[in-house]
Amino acid sequence: MILYTIMPEHLIFPVDEQAYAKQQVVYYDGIPFLVQETETKEWEIVRNLSTNPAHFLEQKYAPGARFPLSTITS
Amino acid sequence: MEKKEYIPFGSEEQQEEKQEQVAANIQQLGQTNIPQMAQDTTIHCLTIIGQIEGHIQLPPQNKATKYEHVIPQIVAIEQNPNIEGLLVILNTVGGDVEAGLAIAEMLASLSKPTVSIVLGGGHSIGVPIAVSCDYSFITETATMTIHPVRLTGLVIGVPQTFEYLDKMQERVVRFVTKHSKISEDKFKELMFSKGNLTRDIGTNVVGPDAVQYGLIDEVGGVAQALQKLRQLIEWKKEGGTMLQ
Repeated sequence: MILYTIMPEHLIFPVDEQAYAKQQVVYYDGIPFLVQETETKEWEIVRNLSTNPAHFLEQKYAPGARFPLSTITS
Repeated sequence: MEKKEYIPFGSEEQQEEKQEQVAANIQQLGQTNIPQMAQDTTIHCLTIIGQIEGHIQLPPQNKATKYEHVIPQIVAIEQNPNIEGLLVILNTVGGDVEAGLAIAEMLASLSKPTVSIVLGGGHSIGVPIAVSCDYSFITETATMTIHPVRLTGLVIGVPQTFEYLDKMQERVVRFVTKHSKISEDKFKELMFSKGNLTRDIGTNVVGPDAVQYGLIDEVGGVAQALQKLRQLIEWKKEGGTMLQ
């Protein structure tokens, strides 16, 4: 099927509401992260939102790294 | 000469301890830590990637730059006395005009030296963001698409809507011409030219062409961008005022 339209894709095929709830922004060690909850009740880093390049050199802040739900600050 | 001689007496235990620690790290995490930067860096880096999100939240599978993330970060950079400069990295397809202009205005009004670098693409509303910095770079292969403002998903039904869009476009044109060396006529010519984009108006400007038109200051990569940023920081320390 080819759709010829100027409508953005996400307006024609809306994503399930729950997909939005999976990810959220939290602070860990004072650094903002985009995270998603894992089955093991941990946060898994999706994206590091820091502007400090030094934070990208640490393994524990890399995408895919996990930290416990309780360790987040503000 | 034997290596043993260099180890001071009694340090053997310490060394063993250190090795044990590394072994424990490997057991627990499956890896050792990579070396850290010696001190806190004074140059921060802001990445403008994917789509620039407007008032409607994009689905999570989209890569998006959200203004509610970026704007507080710019405020924090302005306030933090340890940060001396900002490197803005762009690889964006464009997106919401208002959100893009908001980010561009925030970067333009930052009192600290800023340098932008366009990698891959800095299309559409990425153009004002790229030119908002004190100095801009574009890599040889990067491109920028310049096209008129348009509304997707809605049909323009009344002349007022069209006028509103026209005014919005005027804001983009004014911002770009104010913050770069391109003239209004040239920018509008690129914006409305035919035959460059298939069945659409506008121009896809490649790295060296963007510099030739005066849109971007220089062709270069990360080394040149950081060198320029350090230069601007030094200049500011000596009491020079920032020029656009």
